[in-house]
Amino acid sequence: MQDEKDFIKALLDSKTQNIAFEKLLADFKRPLYSHIRNIVLNHDDADDVLQNTFVKVYQNLKNFKGESKLFSWIYRIATNESITFINAKAKRNGQTSEAFQQKQVENLRADDYFDGDAVHLKLQKAIVALPEKQQLIFKMKYFQEMKYEEISEILGTSVGGLKASYFHAVKKIEDFMKRD
Amino acid sequence: MNDFRLDKEPKIGTGFTTPEGYFDAFQQKVMQHLPVQEPKVIPLYARRRTWMMSAVAILVLALMVPAYNTFYKNTEEIDAASMENYLAYESTISQYDLINLLDSEDIQSLDVDLALEDKTIEDILTNNNNLENYIYENE
Repeated sequence: MQDEKDFIKALLDSKTQNIAFEKLLADFKRPLYSHIRNIVLNHDDADDVLQNTFVKVYQNLKNFKGESKLFSWIYRIATNESITFINAKAKRNGQTSEAFQQKQVENLRADDYFDGDAVHLKLQKAIVALPEKQQLIFKMKYFQEMKYEEISEILGTSVGGLKASYFHAVKKIEDFMKRD
Repeated sequence: MNDFRLDKEPKIGTGFTTPEGYFDAFQQKVMQHLPVQEPKVIPLYARRRTWMMSAVAILVLALMVPAYNTFYKNTEEIDAASMENYLAYESTISQYDLINLLDSEDIQSLDVDLALEDKTIEDILTNNNNLENYIYENE
């Protein structure tokens, strides 16, 4: 707790801000990239959103009150940026977000930065058929192996609610995976 | 896949990969392109100045209201003769409507002693086509 308080102090002090921000970047870039990539699926899009996220974090540090953990605050920004990005891109393409995301999954097969096999692809198809919130919860729990408490702080859903969502998501995915 | 249990199967990854050297390049790119943070400077006197300006503005507005009323009064005073001419010749209000609008005070004030010569009275009576109607009304 104290370490985090000191780190936040360093981030807010103009004399130490750049060095502190560089550390923040180093600590968060990989896990945040994974989180974002799981949502947007495409590497170039993930790169865009990751940059936007860090710029937003940098610009809003002065507004960070420390009421939540730095970690949850940053992940919340990343999640919102990812969803906004998808919605905007879908709109530009004249599609619903759902149709757009399904197309993105179809495109994975030809993606240079996807080396999964048929099972990986089938799992992505199963996930994209879920409601948006369930998709998020499933990815954060299954792929990113986050604790329910962490997911709760980021998404603002109770731990009980998250467990129920995850349970339903798993059931639907298992049914999908059993199909030919 | 007849019995597919996610918790029983080996972990299925995302299948996502990244370009080589991506994360190192990313770090440099972001640090070089950070937006310039402008420090928020609030001079001490600014607050007082805002209050003073607000007070001056309110004072000016308060003074403008009576001034406006004095100089831009919209109501024009119409003289009685113009009003009578309008009612008699221009308006669509009939004599009977006008009479109905008069109260007893108004009627009494209309009671004027006209000095009329007999000849004048005779002319009026001869030329008035409604004479019979007036006689009937008064019965």
